[in-house]
Amino acid sequence: MNAPPMIKRISEASPRFKARMAGVFQLLEAITAACPGVFILGRLVVDGNAAATAANILGHERLFWLGFASLLIGVACHITWALLMYELLKPVNRSLSSLATFVMLVGCAIQALTSLFYLAPLLILQGGSSLSAFTAEQLQALALMFVKLNSYANDIYLVFFGFWCILIGYLIFRSTFLPRVLGVLLAISGLGWVTYLYPPLAYHLFMPYIAAASALGEIPLEFWLIVMGVNAQRWKEQAAAAAEWRS
Amino acid sequence: MSTPAVMEPISGASPCPGARITGVLYLLYFLTAILGELFLKGIVVDGDATATATNLLAHQSLFRLGLATGLIATALYIAVTALFYGLFKPVNRSISLLAAFFGLVACAITTFGSLFQLAPLVLLGGSQYLSVFNLQQLRALALMFLELNNQAANLYLVLFGFYDLLIGYLIFKSMFLPRFLGVLMALAGLGWLTFLSPPFANHLSPYNLVLGFLAELSLMLWLLVMGVNVQRWQQQASAVGEWHS
Repeated sequence: MNAPPMIKRISEASPRFKARMAGVFQLLEAITAACPGVFILGRLVVDGNAAATAANILGHERLFWLGFASLLIGVACHITWALLMYELLKPVNRSLSSLATFVMLVGCAIQALTSLFYLAPLLILQGGSSLSAFTAEQLQALALMFVKLNSYANDIYLVFFGFWCILIGYLIFRSTFLPRVLGVLLAISGLGWVTYLYPPLAYHLFMPYIAAASALGEIPLEFWLIVMGVNAQRWKEQAAAAAEWRS
Repeated sequence: MSTPAVMEPISGASPCPGARITGVLYLLYFLTAILGELFLKGIVVDGDATATATNLLAHQSLFRLGLATGLIATALYIAVTALFYGLFKPVNRSISLLAAFFGLVACAITTFGSLFQLAPLVLLGGSQYLSVFNLQQLRALALMFLELNNQAANLYLVLFGFYDLLIGYLIFKSMFLPRFLGVLMALAGLGWLTFLSPPFANHLSPYNLVLGFLAELSLMLWLLVMGVNVQRWQQQASAVGEWHS
């Protein structure tokens, strides 16, 4: 395999460094993707009250745009995180780790498209004369409807994220260079997210089960990756074994 | 790599990604996709907002079940895409990757379409704040979102058309699958490409749909029952390996 030198250099970066970066991007993704929903929509949206919600959104326009930017940065971090996990877990099982990455890429596309629903309320409320066929109350109601739709759309993204967590959890479990318990915990949190296939069930289970499973599955992994990285010696052994098996 | 591949079947190349498992996942995709359609069938009445709304409210769990099954079908198709990529890499690495990218974007658009199917659940959910619209308006809006999903279907069918065309080419060029399957898949791809112009596609319906269905069904059954010729696959894979190193 005569890979171009640039690619060779990247793919030969130390596995510990890749692991640390994976942890960093996981953390960045968690912050940038969750903040708009929790802190911006959570603060501005008054449940069931379209007029108050509209006033809040229009009163915090800059914050709202900031949330949109944050969502998109979150998608970029997520793609990077998924790619780093692919590189890291490739020696365990190449096909399964590329399957996981494919699943996550579709998930990231949904995550990016969902941000359109996040933005829709602002566009509707600022529509001006082009939307004057609707009354102000109707526009406010439509805006609130898109806020709801944004959270429903996010549920679909969570399903794909759940499948990814299960696959990655399995790969971590089978790896020799990361603690098995991290894989088990991640797979359990993945199962939790997959319940979003039937959202009424997931809403019922969210507090405390899914929330707890997700905290237990993702936070320890994040910190393990950042602080400990991977066992570089064992990683190289498994990678060499995989290469031998192939060539 | 001077040892003949036949003498060293395993070390000649990466292990052949299981054709059987691909067939099984393909079969499961077929079943879930059809099941999902069956769940949703009859709920959406074309052009009739009132009947659609009534059906949807009366069969809300069935509707949600249909959406969930559709998502599982998409996830299975992603798995099939990933396995096909591995299977056809020895034939032509770049085209196999290109096909996989088309497949992935098609899956993303399929899922994006299902986002529109969620809107009726919000619109018809009976929230107080929506009472500024009258019932007819809400129902019309709900139907509009469902129709948007149909438009999204025209988009992803085109992408699946490119995908099938490329897979057809790869099968044709491969030494481990019969050529007629490649021809069938390429024809199916052309069938889906008619959705570039939805009126033209509707004009040709159901022939283009039957073509696509038959081609994918034969490929699925072949993988399930016959698998691939593993020895030939390994020959082709080691030939590529030699070329690469």
